[in-house]
Amino acid sequence: MSASQSAVRSRAEAVSASRTLDYMILFTLFFIILGGYHIHFMLTGGDWDFWSDWKDRRLWVTVCPIVAITFPAAVQAVLWTRYRIAWGATVSILGLLFGEWINRYFNFWGWTYFPMNFVFPANFIPSAIFLDCVLVLSNSFTMTAIAGGMGWGLLFYPANWPIIAPLHLPVEYNGMMFTVADLSGYHYVRTGTPEYIRMVEKGTLRTFGKDVAPVSAFFSAFVSVIVYFVWHFFGLWFGKTDFVTST
Amino acid sequence: MKTIKDKVAKLSFVALLIAVSTAMFYTPTASAHGEKSQAAFMRMRTIHWYDLDWSKSQVAVNETVTISGKFHVFKGWPETVAKPEVSFLNIGIPGPVFIRAASYIGGQLVPRSVTLELGETYDFKVLLKARRPGDWHVHTMMNVEDGGPIIGPGKFIRITGSMSQFTNPVTTLTGKTIDIETWGLGDIYFYSFLWIGIGIAWMWYWCKSPVFVPRLIAVQAGKADSMISDTDKKVTMGFIAGTVALTAILMGSTNDAYPVTIPIQAGLMRDMVPLDIPEPTVSVNVDNASYRVPGRSMEMTLTITNNGDSGIRLGEFNTASVRFLDADVAEDEGSYPADLLAENGLSQSDNSPIAPGETRTISVSASDAAWEVYRLADLIYDPDSRFAGLLFFYDEAGNTQMVGIDAPLIPSFI
Repeated sequence: MSASQSAVRSRAEAVSASRTLDYMILFTLFFIILGGYHIHFMLTGGDWDFWSDWKDRRLWVTVCPIVAITFPAAVQAVLWTRYRIAWGATVSILGLLFGEWINRYFNFWGWTYFPMNFVFPANFIPSAIFLDCVLVLSNSFTMTAIAGGMGWGLLFYPANWPIIAPLHLPVEYNGMMFTVADLSGYHYVRTGTPEYIRMVEKGTLRTFGKDVAPVSAFFSAFVSVIVYFVWHFFGLWFGKTDFVTST
Repeated sequence: MKTIKDKVAKLSFVALLIAVSTAMFYTPTASAHGEKSQAAFMRMRTIHWYDLDWSKSQVAVNETVTISGKFHVFKGWPETVAKPEVSFLNIGIPGPVFIRAASYIGGQLVPRSVTLELGETYDFKVLLKARRPGDWHVHTMMNVEDGGPIIGPGKFIRITGSMSQFTNPVTTLTGKTIDIETWGLGDIYFYSFLWIGIGIAWMWYWCKSPVFVPRLIAVQAGKADSMISDTDKKVTMGFIAGTVALTAILMGSTNDAYPVTIPIQAGLMRDMVPLDIPEPTVSVNVDNASYRVPGRSMEMTLTITNNGDSGIRLGEFNTASVRFLDADVAEDEGSYPADLLAENGLSQSDNSPIAPGETRTISVSASDAAWEVYRLADLIYDPDSRFAGLLFFYDEAGNTQMVGIDAPLIPSFI
């Protein structure tokens, strides 16, 4: 067979080869995203996602969506522009969560024996599906940044509330009040993570009484819009093929 | 010749693989916490731990061991270390092999960070409940914000039994008794993987048909805008509506299931109550101090004045958790870690009682391999070559007085 001949001899073979390629690319893409996104999120979201006693109604709600919208925006930009593929955000989050669950289960629990109810990762799937759906329906990155980014930030806390609510039950312990999550943080000793490192409930947002989570979520959503814009440009730049044509 | 070269190359490669594999499988047990690596001046001039007691050296899973004692916050706290205005009484253990059932400073539970005052002495107690079987090195430890961990003496404690027997029950203010070890796990797994399943369903819908190559060709052919069908849009609308609706429904049902919840608790605890220790009736002036490198020995000339009404004798010099004792005067009555105890490490030119009103100048030598083993000799390489420690004086009735000393140290290399 010469180099100019086709590798396939029928349409069926072409379809089969295309599907094989789909699976290979999908597998590779999934793990490449997993690797990059996981490192990025560990470095930026870090402790807020590691420990249940960091998952508060102010900073966790604010920080995590902002630092997590990065890769979904970039991956969406590449997959939508080049392939009209509608699951850029979802595949990013599935990759991140796959890595996080492996890390938490085998490392935090299997290796260092922190209970899983203390070290579970946050849930970003509803936010990711929302972001993907807005892109499909609007076919516009501007609209996706504004509407999708807002939804991304706003959905984060309610989507996680069923997971964290049992850990916010009040407990009286030796004359002081804790949440179950606080007590986990006190009981399960983190030698290298003293209590004062914990960045929770800090700030000046005191005007809204107990209803600070929605305000934090709105702020997070606004910033997510901006971060989406920036990172979708990163994605567009990263997905360029100029270097191929120049050779 | 080429064949020999090839064989050498192959064998070298195999040898390299074996070396790398062997190195990977060589994982010796880490049985300490790097306490010897911490700068000597920091260990000598920050927190001094003393009168320590580990209540047990072996416990079964679910049993409690208590570490108690006192710590003195040194007045001559080094300028290069942040002051202990935000500090946390921690415990140095390799992960949660124990749970910290309670910790107290001056009788006050301290689950959060506290403010400590320079020059004060506090008593403390940490209750540890055994969780994971093994031999574990357990250290006292004080974390200081912007200063780092200040680690105290450590001792091995053996935990027997099985971790599967461990329970951590607590009753919530809503009247429910839960096991913190497993509480909420069902919800965590169920909701997390429910949503992961929905995410996979979203991807599966789009991946049913060819994904990459045909779509790339279509986009390049200018057909991008016709690639999303009406059905696709309807499915997308279903997913977006379903996602928002399910999120709202689950949040509502969670609020019904847990009507009483509180925010994460945080805050600095001030006004820790120090020990009410009377002013010592002994005053000590360090006339000079030198460290003799070859002899692993620190020599001090002290001028001691006894202003009390009973004769006193110097019995102990305690620095960086190493206790140098004059065996004629003092002995360890507890279970202090042997590697930190120099039972005959303190010698004096005159250790007879100093009478009330008397001022005496004596030469004191603190000698032990601990200077080297615990890398205290590295003090001579620190930027601020001062040493510090606590001197314990014993009166005729056996009462002790503690006096802090803090002075320049001159090394002697010959």
